[in-house]
Amino acid sequence: MHEHAIQHEVSWHTSVWPLALSIGVLFLAPLSFIFYFVYKNPMISAITLGIGAPLTLISIIGWVKEGMEDAHGYSEGHSVWAMPIFVVAEAMLFIGFFAAYWATRLTAPVWPPAGTPDMPVTIPLIMTAILVASSITIHMAEKNLEHEPGSKGGFLNWLIITIILGATFLGLSAYEWSELMHKGFNIKTNIYSTSFFSLTGFHGSHVLVGLGIFACALIPAFAGKVNKPFVKAASIYWHFVDVVWFFVVSQVYFW
Amino acid sequence: MSATASQAITLQSKFSLKEWIFTTDHKRVGVLYLVGSFAAFFVAGIMAMLMRTELASIGPTVTSNPTTYNMWLYFHGAAMILGYQIPALTGFFTNYYVPLMIGAKDVAFPRLNAFSVWLFWMGIVLALLTFVIPDPPDIMWTGYPPYSVITPGNTALYTFTVLLIGFSSIAGGVNFLTTIIRMRAPGITWNKLNIFIWCTMAAFVIQLIFVPILGVAVTMLSLDKYLGTHFFDATAGGTPLLYENLFWFYSHPAVYVIFLPAVGIIYEIVATFSKNRIFNYKGVVYGGIWGTVILSGIVHGHHIYVSAIPDWLVMIQTITTLLISIPVGLLVIGLVGTLYKGSIEFKTPMLYVAGFFFLFLIGGLTGIPNAMSAIYIHIHGTQWITGHFHYVMAVSVTTAIIGGTYYVWPKMTGKMYNEALGKLGFLLFFIGVNITFFFTMYIGVVYGMPRRYYDYAQFPQIEGIQKVITFGSYIILLGALVVLISWIHSLIWGEKAPNNPWGSKSLEWTHTQSPPPQGNYTEPVKVSEDWNPYGYGK
Ligand code: HEM
Ligand SMILES: [Cu+2]
Repeated sequence: MHEHAIQHEVSWHTSVWPLALSIGVLFLAPLSFIFYFVYKNPMISAITLGIGAPLTLISIIGWVKEGMEDAHGYSEGHSVWAMPIFVVAEAMLFIGFFAAYWATRLTAPVWPPAGTPDMPVTIPLIMTAILVASSITIHMAEKNLEHEPGSKGGFLNWLIITIILGATFLGLSAYEWSELMHKGFNIKTNIYSTSFFSLTGFHGSHVLVGLGIFACALIPAFAGKVNKPFVKAASIYWHFVDVVWFFVVSQVYFW
Repeated sequence: MSATASQAITLQSKFSLKEWIFTTDHKRVGVLYLVGSFAAFFVAGIMAMLMRTELASIGPTVTSNPTTYNMWLYFHGAAMILGYQIPALTGFFTNYYVPLMIGAKDVAFPRLNAFSVWLFWMGIVLALLTFVIPDPPDIMWTGYPPYSVITPGNTALYTFTVLLIGFSSIAGGVNFLTTIIRMRAPGITWNKLNIFIWCTMAAFVIQLIFVPILGVAVTMLSLDKYLGTHFFDATAGGTPLLYENLFWFYSHPAVYVIFLPAVGIIYEIVATFSKNRIFNYKGVVYGGIWGTVILSGIVHGHHIYVSAIPDWLVMIQTITTLLISIPVGLLVIGLVGTLYKGSIEFKTPMLYVAGFFFLFLIGGLTGIPNAMSAIYIHIHGTQWITGHFHYVMAVSVTTAIIGGTYYVWPKMTGKMYNEALGKLGFLLFFIGVNITFFFTMYIGVVYGMPRRYYDYAQFPQIEGIQKVITFGSYIILLGALVVLISWIHSLIWGEKAPNNPWGSKSLEWTHTQSPPPQGNYTEPVKVSEDWNPYGYGK
């Protein structure tokens, strides 16, 4: 038993990726933003971005690889429990932005405020359909994973379709933003544009993160490695992003 | 056998930098939190000394530039709360205790845990940039618009400091809630959890729900300032009141994020040093701790009584704020009942507990008039408020943090500390804070000296008292240095600590060595039917 104790003493578990990722994040967002917007120095901003973006990406890749190997037996399926807890925090973020929107809208003397063009109707409807479809496809991917553990084929196909749908959603969103900006409706225009762009932008960034999470499941899956709880957690996140969209679309487009 | 045992010790004490900075072990992550949060405490403490020195006499003392004072004030407030107290409590203590107390080998996500602590450190790095960049933030720790939007100061630094530390905290919350739900050793049922574990859960539930709101508020600040949105811009249909609401919707509950784990630590110390069961365990947990959580979301209006909110809302908030005394009362009764008829031992941690009781009592009593809107409008914005909240939160919680560190010290370092040095540090600290903050309240409520003023030519009659306050704060500094010396002394010359120097019944003392190895327990923990972390006198 004492032999055993010594074994434990010497092998402290380590990983370089958490520290690397935190440094990457520091350069990627705060420093780049501050140099660009506060000190108006695009040069330095580009440099910090040039350090931060690759470092962040490499760290995530390293982290995922390490997680797949799971040398220390960390992954015990906790992610399925952790994701709903995280979703609570995420939901509160959106509630904060919605609260701002409602507070300013309900006290406005006229709505929409001056400077607002006719808002698009078809594109948001298409986007809604796409996102709902993607929620179904990710569900199918999960189902395939459960039922035929041997072959990953069905799972992979459904996951890829989901990613394509998500990317299309983002593409449409970008297209719509640029249309609106051409009409002179941008984030500075008025109190409506303030909420419109921050809510849709913020939701869009969540779609992007969702796609990133899917990529972290997809790429190892090509090599035949799948972490089921991770896929489940990713799917919970995706459904959440989908539900939030219903609020976004009903509140800022159709109300 | 003794040969292998001593070999274990040498192997263990061989310092490896790599094993520290890349660590994923919760105990080491905890120590990284300890170092980071005390570093923040130290620098923010220097700012406090600079402010106090400035205020010692009328006219320029250290600086003739009010913006410099504002920068100190900004850093002091933000770093003390976001960089010191919250990370010390929900980072250090939580990391050190939670897995040990529930008999787990680590947290649910060890690498996410390491990421949390480093993200927090990056937040500290960002905050420290305050001292080297041109146009540092000058917006207090509250960052109110419109000033924060129109100032030449760097509001983005504030935004990102809050976001990094906030995200770190959310990651910690997800991790620890999952850990507590999923990783309790067989036999450790919900009603046998240490009080500290319950306090941690409550604190993280609050963090998960409210931190995002603060995140949104400070994000909007930078969006308004740098991207031209209109959230807080009254000329375009926005309103600064929105910020005040979002900010306090988080920042009032934040005091419970600080208060609950602090009380949790006090409970652990009290139970151990009076060798007694917890009095009214279920009342403390379900009434005291969770009652606080439930009320935390409906009282923030008391911070904006004078900011144009409707009278009926002011009335409601007065009542809900006073209601908070019910769960807090339950927590206090639980402590007193645990002490009652216990065999109390006055080691250093217990002295700090006594200090906590006294400081919190003063802070609590001086808080009652603040909750009543009719009185509050007269004392709002004076040094009375500064004195009150330093009593109730700043220094009372600091006694819990320092006392708790002494308590866990033998387990964490494997060394005993020197009791005499420990007690001396406490005494200096205790005397210093009472001189400082009693007279701070006094000049506020008797003379109406406003807070956040770097000079007071209109109040020549209080210059003498101001000098006394500053003198008191130097005594605090002296006390803090003695504490630091006692720790360094222990690390170098301290005797080897036994596994359970306090004779506690809690798992971290009874089931593992000091300090615990990687994986915490050499064999998986399983406790018997009649086990209880407070099972004294059975
Ligand atoms: C231990 C010695 C400390 C001393 C001597 C001290 C002193 C001061 C002083 C002089 C001020 C400025 C008052 C004014 O100009 O209005 C202040 C403000 C403040 N302090 Fe402390 N402080 C100490 C510890 C702490 C701690 C531990 C905390 C942790 C919560 C804290 C939190 C704050 C906050 C939040 C403010 C208000 C900042 C603002 O107005 O934006 N202080 N303190
Ligand atoms: Cu409050």
